[in-house]
Amino acid sequence: MSTPPTLARRLNEWGLPLGIVGMVIGFLIGFAVGTHAIPYSFGEDNSLGSDPGILLGYALSVVGFLAGMGFLNYPIGRLLGAKRPSEEDNAYIHGESGGLSRYFRMTTDHKVIGLQYLVMILAFLFIGGLGAMFIRTELLTPSPTIATAQSYLTLVGLHSTLMIFMASAAIIGPFGNYFVPIMIGTRNMAFPRLEALTFWLLPPAGIILLSTVFLGGFTTGWTGYAPLADQNVLGMDSYLIGFALIGISIGLSGVNMIATILTMRAPGMALSRMPIFVWSVLVTSFLGALAAPALIAAVMMEVFDRSYQTTFFVPAGGGSPYLWENLFWFFGHPEVYIFVVPAFGLIMEMLPVFTRRPLWGYRVAVGGMVGIGLLSFVVWQHHLFVSGLAPSLRPFYMFSTELISVPTGIIYLVALGTLWRARTRFTTPMLFIFGFFFNFLIGGFTGVFLSDVPSDFTLHASYFVQAHFHYTIMGGEVFALMAAIVYYLPKMTGRTMDIRLLRFQFWAVFITFNGTFISLISVGILGMPRRVISYAAYLQPLNVSATVFAYGLGLSMTLFLGILLWEVFIKQRVAAANPWESLGVEWQVPTPVPTFNFDRLPVSWSLPYDYDTGKPAADFGPAVPAFSGA
Amino acid sequence: MRNRATAIRVVVIVWLVAAVAGDVALAFGPIPPGQASDLASSESLTILLLAEIAWPVFSAVLAALFFTLVVNKIAPPTAEVSAEALRGNTRAQTAWIAATLVVVLSLAVYGTVALAIDQPGAGISADAAALPMPTSTSQPLEVQVIAQQWWFTYRYPSYGGIETSQLVLPVNQKIEFHITSLDVVHSFWFYALGVKADAVPLNDNVVTATPTLTGTYRIQCAELCGLWHGNMADNTAMVVSSSDFAAWMQQQTTLDAPVMKYLLPYSHTYEPSPTVYGS
Repeated sequence: MSTPPTLARRLNEWGLPLGIVGMVIGFLIGFAVGTHAIPYSFGEDNSLGSDPGILLGYALSVVGFLAGMGFLNYPIGRLLGAKRPSEEDNAYIHGESGGLSRYFRMTTDHKVIGLQYLVMILAFLFIGGLGAMFIRTELLTPSPTIATAQSYLTLVGLHSTLMIFMASAAIIGPFGNYFVPIMIGTRNMAFPRLEALTFWLLPPAGIILLSTVFLGGFTTGWTGYAPLADQNVLGMDSYLIGFALIGISIGLSGVNMIATILTMRAPGMALSRMPIFVWSVLVTSFLGALAAPALIAAVMMEVFDRSYQTTFFVPAGGGSPYLWENLFWFFGHPEVYIFVVPAFGLIMEMLPVFTRRPLWGYRVAVGGMVGIGLLSFVVWQHHLFVSGLAPSLRPFYMFSTELISVPTGIIYLVALGTLWRARTRFTTPMLFIFGFFFNFLIGGFTGVFLSDVPSDFTLHASYFVQAHFHYTIMGGEVFALMAAIVYYLPKMTGRTMDIRLLRFQFWAVFITFNGTFISLISVGILGMPRRVISYAAYLQPLNVSATVFAYGLGLSMTLFLGILLWEVFIKQRVAAANPWESLGVEWQVPTPVPTFNFDRLPVSWSLPYDYDTGKPAADFGPAVPAFSGA
Repeated sequence: MRNRATAIRVVVIVWLVAAVAGDVALAFGPIPPGQASDLASSESLTILLLAEIAWPVFSAVLAALFFTLVVNKIAPPTAEVSAEALRGNTRAQTAWIAATLVVVLSLAVYGTVALAIDQPGAGISADAAALPMPTSTSQPLEVQVIAQQWWFTYRYPSYGGIETSQLVLPVNQKIEFHITSLDVVHSFWFYALGVKADAVPLNDNVVTATPTLTGTYRIQCAELCGLWHGNMADNTAMVVSSSDFAAWMQQQTTLDAPVMKYLLPYSHTYEPSPTVYGS
């Protein structure tokens, strides 16, 4: 065993430092080539460089980072005729017996990647949340105080874009990657390297986006409307490349999940025996794989507009701002269901555990999620009701948007059916689930006012919209995320964070969240547009109320993070193996989960919700004395 | 089971009281954006109607959620209490889906009809005829809104295309707003009149509304348009009587007479300024 580590292993071990070196080298090469080799005159008034330099620099820095991380080692090794990596090397690259260090290198173990995602999501959430605190502080007064107009809009853009990065992977990243292969009874994802890639695109995306502060920031918010985007300084390039990376990550993750779920299920696991969370991930993956290309295309067109002087979105050159608006929202609307459908799935996965009974209406729940997925592709123009685009199309988009409340309503029906006459255990995750349903209900009902064209004329682009989507994303998805963290932490880390303080934390976050956003619903109805640094004086009292509640919200979210870190790293109380007494397959494997999940692939018997009979969902092998007498 | 039945009854009664009280309160409360124009009134009516429908449904779901969660809750340590198994109920599912469908369809029909009657506009002029236009008795007054970073200016083609920095409108006169932009995408938001329409370069976005209340109102930009988006607002927009409007127009005409020859001829769109192209 004392053989010296091979090259493949060494390269993998030093992946992160090599990746950072590669990032720097890639950026320098791209910047030099872009600046000097591409004849281009527009950036000359900018002392920091030109758009082609920055754009090419960023693009090559990502390539350099991924190369350094080791994504090219295997193909290049094969091309050069090197020996195949030994079993031992492969196991190392898969993250076997790596301890804590395996979380800092490229591994192909879906469980390692799930935890990497969780940490990255929480980091994005924390940084984005800090941005929100600054925004609320600025909005204490009707005129600019702590920020300049440029820094305020950059803050708005950073907060929103980072939160979109966070939200598009918040459930499917940590819990999809970690639990889908276990739930469907397979040893790994269909494309483990691709899975690692989807995660390792996130850190460069975050760094590149944040680097906008050194390049003058950007003033377009997360929607990046052209031609304002063409007018922006170099900071815009950070937004474009960062968002493109997230788009690639969403799309690739979708392809990988679809392939895994459709082809690698355990024997006996018909589609009708798939846990509801896996169904939600499947629907989400289709949304991601089909919608993300529109975003990537739009962003690349904007990149060309800014570097090669194409005029896709520039009216003076024959382009159209509507092209961006359509492409962006064609991605943007399925995107919000990428946020929330996995949250639906996770909530429905947890409900039977706490009500000790089968999921009520499993098939109709699946139908509901599939319906949401299909409809989400034909509603995007409700973002453009006042844009001046084809008014004769508005009744259709109004109808399709209102129609989506039918499948969403089904999710509520399933929840109510599962809770109906059940002996519900009011555990901490259950509290967050309750918070999810309460907040998402407000999010849904505020949506009705926005889908109706006449009322949208008043409410469009106001704080009402802002409060509406915070109710669905923060109040919905992030509450589901918190429920899932409390619920799955014992499995993922072997530690528990379920302490009394957490219940106080729930009520704190629930009350402050609603306080903040009910205030913002009100300012929106009273006529405050989004993304403004100055507002009419009569709106100040409600803005102060929103800010005060938002501080409380920031503190209570920090408390959640504090409890999580304290319990996992300092208290380190060992959790019970199956603290919620779930029948789910993921709770039947040992903790920590073995590297390849199962010694023998389980044979699926039924849905894991048979709490009335207590029948296990799958046959796990010889330990279950099914055929021992034969 | 007796307690259960009582609990259900209590919840239903509480819900009924809350739903009725809420709806009554809504009916008497001020509903944005107010009654300052025919368009605003119709938007207020729509918002009121949606709220009247939404509140009882919202509170019913909430009541059901509270009931199912609170009445049956037991403490975490007593774990293994399995309830009876209910795996679904076709009738309940069908009823729920049918009910939501009916609500949604009626909302969509109502919205479409309201849209066709108001003709609130915000459409490209060429396409505005796609929905039947109500025949109006009075000729609308055309007012052009030109957005640029970071203010609005207004042109009155029926008064020689005069351009002003203040928006003044005659009351009870149908106004046809033509909204365009010279640089990036803006949105013209006249909250009190219920007018919101994006200003897109090289595009003519048309909205019609008839102001019905005189007063001084606020106008602001509702689409992020760069640095001073938040300050692209104006508290001096006025709706005045037609005699005051004529007097104001007279004053503006004399004021603007020396510069009229420098103004571009009136047009529904203007070539965007080349300086905005590129970074």
